[in-house]
Amino acid sequence: MAWPLLVLIAMPDLAGLGSLWSRDRRLAEALQCGQAGILVSAALLVVERVATEGQASVDPFLRADAMSAWMDLILGAVGGTGTLYAVGYMGEELDRGRVSLRRYRQFFCLFDLYLAAMLAAVNVENVAIMWIAVEGSTLSAALLIGFERTKAALEAGWKYVILSSVGIALALFGTILVYYSSEHVLGVTSEALRWSELYRVAESLDPAAIKAAFVFVLIGYGTKAGVAPMHTWLPDAHAEAPTPVSAMLSANMLAVAVYAILRFKAVVDRTVGSSFSGTLMVGLGLLSVAIAAVLLLVQRDYKRLFAYSSIEHIGIALIGFGLGGAGVFAALWHLLNHALAKSAAFYASGLVLLRHEHKMLERVPGLLRQMPLAGGAILVAGVALSGMPPFGLFISEVLIAIGAYAATPGVAYGLLSLLTLAFATLLYQVLRMALGEPLEAGMALGSRNQTFMSAAIWLNLAALCTIGLQIPARCGTLLGAIAPFFGGTMEAP
Amino acid sequence: MFQISPQLGSQLVDLCAALLLLTCFAIVAQRRLSACVDLFALQSVFLAATAALVAFLTGIHHIYVAAALTVVIKAVVLPRILKKVIERLNVSRELQMNINVPAGLLVCGTLVILAFYITQPIIPLGFLLTRDSLAIALAIILIGFFTMIARKKAVTQVVGFLVMENGLFLGATAAAYGMPLIVELGVFFDVLVAGLIIGIYTHRIQDAFDSVDTSKLTVLKE
Repeated sequence: MAWPLLVLIAMPDLAGLGSLWSRDRRLAEALQCGQAGILVSAALLVVERVATEGQASVDPFLRADAMSAWMDLILGAVGGTGTLYAVGYMGEELDRGRVSLRRYRQFFCLFDLYLAAMLAAVNVENVAIMWIAVEGSTLSAALLIGFERTKAALEAGWKYVILSSVGIALALFGTILVYYSSEHVLGVTSEALRWSELYRVAESLDPAAIKAAFVFVLIGYGTKAGVAPMHTWLPDAHAEAPTPVSAMLSANMLAVAVYAILRFKAVVDRTVGSSFSGTLMVGLGLLSVAIAAVLLLVQRDYKRLFAYSSIEHIGIALIGFGLGGAGVFAALWHLLNHALAKSAAFYASGLVLLRHEHKMLERVPGLLRQMPLAGGAILVAGVALSGMPPFGLFISEVLIAIGAYAATPGVAYGLLSLLTLAFATLLYQVLRMALGEPLEAGMALGSRNQTFMSAAIWLNLAALCTIGLQIPARCGTLLGAIAPFFGGTMEAP
Repeated sequence: MFQISPQLGSQLVDLCAALLLLTCFAIVAQRRLSACVDLFALQSVFLAATAALVAFLTGIHHIYVAAALTVVIKAVVLPRILKKVIERLNVSRELQMNINVPAGLLVCGTLVILAFYITQPIIPLGFLLTRDSLAIALAIILIGFFTMIARKKAVTQVVGFLVMENGLFLGATAAAYGMPLIVELGVFFDVLVAGLIIGIYTHRIQDAFDSVDTSKLTVLKE
């Protein structure tokens, strides 16, 4: 019995419903803190089991292989610190009277269901149930983005709901097409929707149907991953959502959408070879990096700045996955490091937002002096996100660039010049915030709330720095186990 | 128990699918919001009929469940919610569109041709009974998508989304004799919740902006 896997998915559901039911603020806080601890430990236990035994499964619905375990690690770690941060952030909003206790409890219910839906999506064995879980996360996120009910939040939420619904509908059509071709081999049963069965028979599926299916899936889940040119909802949603939600959108949801694309890519590659999906993914990835690199420079809102940086990093990861070989390894490593760094950046921006109550970048210089923790975290995360050593994103970007050079030098030149541009612009913007003299005093935060938020930031930064210096042995094992999945073998460097 | 020959069965399924497509064109041509919702309900009834027909001809019983759910959720519950929204918002007509009706109909015609072109290589793979409906399903999805782009009012965008969902359901029935039951239940649940959430948003947008014209949502740029 793989109980850590069950706990991992059941915990947020229970904590969410418990928070909705609890009349007392302290009880809700205790539930959420418990959830944060259990998420992280259950994720680590799943990783441990998958690394030693190859998989963890609860037949016939849940099965975590190396890929799922990798996503569990990302979702569990960032979901844990995110919950902790949300306790502080929403506590501060509650103390300031911006949300009622009732809305506070609703927030945590939605937040936890959102985490649960994403965790379910990466662990289910059935293609279509994965779609249902992803749609579940879309719907809960839609309510979370519009949670503050300002005009801007409603506009962002509306854009998100409409674009994601269209995207997810196209992804469902892709899923139906996969079933359409697999049931000819496997018959009209739900077996024809199991990932393991699909991989087994992938070579005898109809190439034309699978190709068409992949195009729909790539556009559909790509919309949710914020891949250009379907990215237009992303900056609005990330900027207007309550900050803990922005962090979860950027670190977790984009990764879940990329995971869905990857699962389908593994099927397509077995059916028609890897160049078809690879070319599409590298193309879309380059476009995303290009658009994000240019728009990073003109941002005046610090949350939007980090949102565009997410588009850039998802683009880089797509390029890595599209290239295959060592690129897959690098891209997976990229996703984990991006999740840690980006959520730290959003946590810190949330502190700044609570203090100054606006998101204008040019009016918050001197953060290092004014708010050492937030300023320091923005600086460290900014340096990591712009791809400098000693952080993991440096390693993965270099590996992806090398992979691109080996495949098509043209792509490598394009990628490197775009990366340089993004590096310079992001670092410039981050330094503008971190250095200088503070302009405005702002409002003080409650010390108890501050403690929760600081703990989340410290945990994230500690994890980011540790894995930047050395890849933990278990992570190496997992990455090594994912490689054959995409038809390559590779050694963790 | 009476029997229907496979040819006749196939013809009947095609007829139902064609009726679905026809209602799509009617929605594109219709300016009155409540009529759009009625047409959507009618389309859902045709969809349920198609599904029931497929269930009858193939003897796969769980498709009946899906057909019944279609009638309840898409032909009764969701249209009611939408009508209430329209009543409360006090908007009955769509006066300005991004694309006018004749041009919209032309675009839809092109989309149908495109759908047949895309699905042509994969159609021979399907079951004889329903395979021609796959192209129609894709056409309905594309037209729903187009409706969302062409209209400005939040309510008609929702109708466009629901039309896309109808196309998806026709696709699942046509391509694969329906998905397994648990999947269908999940999809229906999601569609219902999506309808509710979009309804909530429409209300809030009306309260905050005094309008459900989504072209007024222009605070956020770049």
